[in-house]
Parts: sequence; C-alpha cells; structure tokens
Amino acid sequence: MRNRPLTALSFALAMTFTIALAQVEVVYWTHEDPNRTALEQELIEQFQAENPGIVISRVTHPSNALAQLILTAFAANRGPDIFNMETFNEYPYIVNQRVAPVDPVAAGFGSYDAFYAAYLEGMIDPVTLDRLPYGIPLELTNWAIFLNMNVFRGAGLDPLTDYPKTWEEMLEIADRLTVRDGEIITRRGFDFRYPYYLNFMVPMAQQLGGQLIGDDGESAIVNDEAWLRVLAYFREWGPHGRNLGSPTYANARALFNFDNDDIGMMESGQYQVARIANDNPGFLPGEGWMVVPFPVWEDAVEDAAGAYYGHYWMVNAQSTADEQEAAWKFIGYMAQFAEDFFERAGLLQASQAVLDSDTFKNHPYSDIFMSDLARAPAIYYGDASPQIRQALQDAVEAVMLQNREPAEVLVTLRASVERALRGEY
Amino acid sequence: MARSAKRLTVGARKALWGWAFVVPALAFFGLFAFYPIINALVLSLHSKNVLSLRPPRFVGFQNYVDLWNSAQFWNSWKATGLFTVSTAVPLVLVSLLLATLIVSRLRLQRFFQMALYTPAVIPGVVAAAIWLMLLDPRGIANQWVNFVLGVSGIDRKWLASPDMVRLSTVLVYFWGKLGFFTIIFIAGLGGIPTSVKEAARVDGATGFQLYRYITLPLLKPTTLLVSIMAMIFCMRTFSTQYLFTQSGAPREPINVVTLGIYTTAIRDYQIGLASAMSIVLLVVMFVLAFLQFRASRTQDG
Repeated sequence: MRNRPLTALSFALAMTFTIALAQVEVVYWTHEDPNRTALEQELIEQFQAENPGIVISRVTHPSNALAQLILTAFAANRGPDIFNMETFNEYPYIVNQRVAPVDPVAAGFGSYDAFYAAYLEGMIDPVTLDRLPYGIPLELTNWAIFLNMNVFRGAGLDPLTDYPKTWEEMLEIADRLTVRDGEIITRRGFDFRYPYYLNFMVPMAQQLGGQLIGDDGESAIVNDEAWLRVLAYFREWGPHGRNLGSPTYANARALFNFDNDDIGMMESGQYQVARIANDNPGFLPGEGWMVVPFPVWEDAVEDAAGAYYGHYWMVNAQSTADEQEAAWKFIGYMAQFAEDFFERAGLLQASQAVLDSDTFKNHPYSDIFMSDLARAPAIYYGDASPQIRQALQDAVEAVMLQNREPAEVLVTLRASVERALRGEY
Repeated sequence: MARSAKRLTVGARKALWGWAFVVPALAFFGLFAFYPIINALVLSLHSKNVLSLRPPRFVGFQNYVDLWNSAQFWNSWKATGLFTVSTAVPLVLVSLLLATLIVSRLRLQRFFQMALYTPAVIPGVVAAAIWLMLLDPRGIANQWVNFVLGVSGIDRKWLASPDMVRLSTVLVYFWGKLGFFTIIFIAGLGGIPTSVKEAARVDGATGFQLYRYITLPLLKPTTLLVSIMAMIFCMRTFSTQYLFTQSGAPREPINVVTLGIYTTAIRDYQIGLASAMSIVLLVVMFVLAFLQFRASRTQDG
C-alpha cells in the first residue's frame, strides 16, 4: 500500500521514457513567410495527430541567412532533417551526396513514375541527378512585373496600355515615373530585384542570343554583343547614367505593398499576391496594382521570360533511416495540400492538380504568370552557381556603381565565371 | 602524501596556487583559441570542400601558391591595408586627444566617458544596420552634409561610389571603437604619477612641455598597446563590410581579407583555401605587432 505512489511514479516515468524512445523527432528548417507559417503550423498539428510517433520541430530563419546557416550546420554534420532553399543553392547538396533521394513510398506517391507524373513536366529536373529525384517542390516561382496603377495614372500614363513591353520602353517609362529631389530618388519607376541576377539578367542576355554557359560546358558568357548590351543597359540605369535606381536603395518588394507612391514597378512571383493582401487589404488587383509580362528587347532573338526557380524540400542523408522515413512522410503529407499552399501563401507547387483547380484559374494574374512560365528558362543551377551569381553581381556593380566600361567588365566577368566552373579561386 | 605536501616550500605552494588559477584560463584558450589555429593550419595544407563528406586531400603549400597568384587576394590586402591605415591612425590620435581633454576636465568626466563608450557596447552588425539607414540616399547623412554645405539634393553616394563606401566603413568603425580606445588612454593617463608632473612644474615646465616631455613618454606603453590593438582590430574588421555588401554596396573596394575568408569558405565551400587565408592574416598581424614592439624598443634604446 505504502509503495503504491512509488510504483505509480516508476510506471509513469517508464511510460514517458518509452514514449520518448518511440517518438521520432524531425527538425525542419525553412525561411520566414508569415502566410506559409500559419498554414504549415496547422498541417504539423494535423500530421502529428495522425502520426503520434512523429514530432515535427519547425524552425524559421530569415531567407537571406538560411543558406549560410544550413551550410554551417551541414559542415558540422548537424544539418536539419528537412530544409528548403533556392534551387541554385540546393544543387551542391545533391552533388555532394548530403541529401537523400526522395522516398516515393514514404511520401505517399507509391513510385518514382507516379511522383514525376504528379508534377508539370521538367519541374523535378533541377533536383534530379543520375535519374534520381532529391526534392519535392515547395514552390516553383517565375517573376513577372508588378505595376502600381496609381503611380502610372499619376504620371499621366494608362497602365492597361502604356506598360513596358520591351526593355527599351522600360527605361523610358521608368525614367518618366522616377521622382527625384536633385540627385536623390524619392520614387523609383522600376526596381530590378538585386542581387538575384541569375533570375533576370541571364534571361535578358538570352533574349539577345547570349548564353551564361556555352554548349561545351566550359566556356562562359557567350556572345559578347548580347552581354555588352545588357551591361551597358545597367550602366545607363545606374547613378552614372539616368539615375533610375541602384542596389543600394531599399528593396522594392518591401515597399510596393504599401502603395506609398515610392515605387512604380518591381519584379516578383505569385506569392506577392497573398503578401499584398496581407499587408494592405485595400490595395486591390486590377484597381491599385496589376501584373504584366517580363519584357523583351525590341530586337530579341529569343522570347525568354524571367528564369523560374524552385524551393524544394530536401532530406538530410545523415539523418537516421527512421528520421528520413518520417521526414518524407511529412513532406508528402504537406504536398497533398498544394492547393492550400497556393490559395493561402501564393506558392505554386506545380502539381497538375493545382493547375487544373479553380483556385488557380481564378487567382489574380495566373494567366500572365503561366504564359511567362511557358517561355521561362530554368534558372542556372550547378556546382558553382553561388560563385557565378556573385560574378554577375560584381559585374553589374562595376558598371553601375563604379562606372567601369562594359567591355572591360565583360573580360573580368567571363574569367570569373570560367574560373568558378573550373573550381578555382 | 601529507608529508610530501608539508615538504613544499612557501614559494612552491604559491606556484601551485598560481597554476591552479591559470590552468582553467589556459584550458579555455587552448580549446577556443589555440586549437582552432592549429586546426586551421592543418586544414590550410589540404583541399577540402566544406560540403563534401570526403576526407581532406593533402596538397602541401598549394593553397598558399594559389593565394600568391590570385589577383583577388591581393585586392583584399589592398582593401584591408587602406582600411587599417585610414582607421587605425586616426583612432589612436583622436582617442589620445579625447582622453587628454576628458582627464583635464574636472566636471562631467564620467558623463563623457560613458557617452563615448556607448557605441563600443553595440554589436558591430547592429551598428552597421543603424548606419545603413543613416547612409541611405534619403537618410540623415545626405541631409546633414547638404545642410552644412548649404546645398540640396546632392547624393553623396555613401554606399555606391567606391571611395565613399570606403569612407563609410571607416566612419562606422571609427565611431564604434573610439570610446573603447579613449577609455584605455584615460586609464593610462591616470597611471602617471602626479609627483613627476609636480616636479616638472616646480622646474618651470609649461603645459605643453609637461605634455610633450612628461605625459607622452610615460604614456608610451599605453600608446603602444592601443596602436597594436587598433591595428589588429582593423585588420580583423568584417561585420561592417559584410552588411554593406549585403545591402548592395560594391564588393571590390571593401573586400577585406576577412570578407574574402568568409566568401571562400561559405560561398565557395573551399575551407582549405579559406584556412590558408586565415593563417596568412594571422602571420601578417603577428609580424606587424612584432615590428611595432621592436620599433618602440629601438626608440627607448
């Protein structure tokens, strides 16, 4: 009788210990996105209720710090079980065998064929190596041009007809929309999305017949004329040219939603729609803002839109077999809610089911994004993609901010990219 | 055992206690300072991709040869050298001047010390973030300079023009570290015996002569300490340059060695090469500090 409390305590402790041992904890690192966070928290609760043996620990980090944090964690062999990043940052993890191939059974697809069939053709290619997929799409994004209709009207332009169709028109219209106090810009007509040069600068060169990497895989910055045109364009855009903006000004996407007469146009993806609604419910599509296609040069030889990129959920290859299985199960569970991801966070997982849904068809400017996606190249991804992006950034900064000659910068750019391809410092 | 303890002399016992106090600090430094240095030295002789699970490949001094032949690495040294000279020298001179002024005041000494020291307790990243807002084209820096010069609408391009972005990094660092070095000088000035100064006054020394021939020579150990610390701090600068480049400032003019180490390791995944860069930086800092000591001793001689 006297021993009963002690026995009960021992039993409770033993049960707790047994449950703790039986549970699998899956650590999930991702970038901040308030709309997605709310949805994923709900999904985690539902998933845990349906799978009592699995605990999901979701940790968010600022998007600009995530790549660095994940790299240092993996360098110390302490990477999270699940993570997501942009394609060009994720590919080195595949090449270096730090992530596990998709487990189609645990993820609920049944087979690789069924997994590939669930998504638009080619969408899994950026995370495929030796015919094995290494990621499940969290979002697939292409950027179009978001346009503030009030700013256009205020400048005496009709947004429905006067929006820029070519890069030449973009320069002129942005100049007309830009407001300055002397040299200091108080309203930008258009803001490029610095420093994501792989997304918009490479397609600009591609439209003129340029290539980032040659067909031989070793030569880089192919077609001098095309790249010189692009570099000259950025030089003219910057403070030493028409002074239309530069990377040192605040990012437009942080300002656009609030309709404060400080930005006319900017580049963004469909997720911006949900963010505008969140930040400024009175700023309405078709009345306050609209979306137009990615421009092309007047004499373009290729009709390329802004490059599409993806964020893919990946699983750490160093996690235990149980953790990996639980991780794929959880990712597969989230992937079932692709329509919710699109409706609530504006994230397109490029599954056929979502594309066929009314939610997608009725979403503001889905048609523009889809027609741009059809002419969009995939973003460059490879072993050296982060270094190549840096080389492009250095080149734009050199012409735009340091007022260097495009011809001189082109030589440095080519040498830097080729050195990156060879894996040299 | 008790007998052998009794046999210890007083000096030996004191030494034992001394070791007892020193060993934890030594262990701490060994673990967190010496071990990483040795580890970096070993890694610098290897080729290692930070993401790869393959073991490091021994390459001898190849990383150092690559650095020697790298224009980018030499540009980093140019950026570091320019930053160090244009920051460390004014830091030493102005902090000495401010310390002298503060010590000479009878009232509000504590207030000035506290006001000057406040920026030193703000983390470098936070300080750089605050300065980013001030240096924005529409920020206070342009407004203030234009007001002082009686003009309007001129963009000084604090973060855009190569020379101005160099100046901006110097300003941020100077502002952050000035109080710290001033406090060290104040402590050094307080350590000068008043009897020496009084004797000089009795001998008819003027205020300037007192400062030139009594205060400055007796302050020499502090000046040496401050100049070496300022040089080392400046050569290790990172957060300001990192945040500025993340905010769109051109990388080339402010691509200091530490930023190069970061990008080589984190962006390029080449941890062996980044380790070699760290070792070169360590050696250069050590050699420069040694030369300063030697120069100081030669002057004494």
